[in-house]
Amino acid sequence: MIAPDWLRDDRLPHIYCTGCGNGTVINCTLGAVEEMGWKREETVFVSGIGCSSRAPGYILTDSLHTTHGRALAFATGVKMARPDLNVVVFTGDGDLAAIGGNHFIHACRRNVDMTVVCMNNHIYGMTGGQGSPTTPQGAISTTTPYGMSEPAFDLAELAVAAGANYVARWTSYHVKELTKAVAAGLQTPGLAFIEVRTQCPTNYGRHNKLRRVSEMIEHLRSHAMLVEKRDRLIQEGKPVPDDIFTVGELVRRNRPAMGVKP
Amino acid sequence: MKLVIDESRCKGCNLCVLVCPYGIFQEGTELNSRGIVTPVLDRPERCTNCRLQALYGRMLCGVCHMICPDQAIAWVEERPFEPHKVEVEF
Repeated sequence: MIAPDWLRDDRLPHIYCTGCGNGTVINCTLGAVEEMGWKREETVFVSGIGCSSRAPGYILTDSLHTTHGRALAFATGVKMARPDLNVVVFTGDGDLAAIGGNHFIHACRRNVDMTVVCMNNHIYGMTGGQGSPTTPQGAISTTTPYGMSEPAFDLAELAVAAGANYVARWTSYHVKELTKAVAAGLQTPGLAFIEVRTQCPTNYGRHNKLRRVSEMIEHLRSHAMLVEKRDRLIQEGKPVPDDIFTVGELVRRNRPAMGVKP
Repeated sequence: MKLVIDESRCKGCNLCVLVCPYGIFQEGTELNSRGIVTPVLDRPERCTNCRLQALYGRMLCGVCHMICPDQAIAWVEERPFEPHKVEVEF
């Protein structure tokens, strides 16, 4: 449960559209931070540009709202200058995968001690629904009116390959699991990456026959498959459907980390 | 404890209607003063968190509270002798 003193009451209600999943992710992250018992003075939320990156503006801690795609670079700086602070980065898919892709893989490689929560809504929501690197193949957006022809980026697998210490993926429907995953990420020394598939009914759902929030949530729920189940299907030699994405904890390991609290 | 929806924050996405295991939230029909159709509560005393939160000393279900994107759902302490709406079924 989130204590109301973590939110800036005078800024609410926030600017997100009706049914946007970003608010759910804020709830889950704050729930996990609360579980950790961190104080407000020693927690910093960093974000870039985009819908998701407005999140720290509604949280009553010190925060950085930085340039497009450079949230991880700024967060690395904060962590290097003040290793005693707890750094949480909110970022979106256009922010992290498109313009900030190199910052992302190098932050994973360096294994800086912070938690990155990526709200992946499959689209550039704020600027009017342009296709992003994570738009699924065949999905319609304003820049891909005949369906996306390029394959999508799998951010969680990218983080595993680049060397993050903890990688998980959940959707905004799985609130309990997401809270536990964020809490595990906050506890892990080194970079913890949690990809959250969220719904964007206004700009993604409207073009893809998922106009209602409940339809979009149902779509996320029915297309999520646990990693363990996917592995079991492969082991048994059964076919894995191609339109699913895996959810769950993808990796947890102990590579040497940078900037761990002394 | 009692369940309340903050009318000044709710945007009427009806996600709580989708996730509540007891079916306490029902889709509303009337516009409020902000022009938003907020969900209505159907016998909220059935909510497990309302009844048992004080006994267990922790959050029990709380899925609606976590999934609400607008941070509009909360539990508040009841004042003593608060009037209740009672429906008598014959």
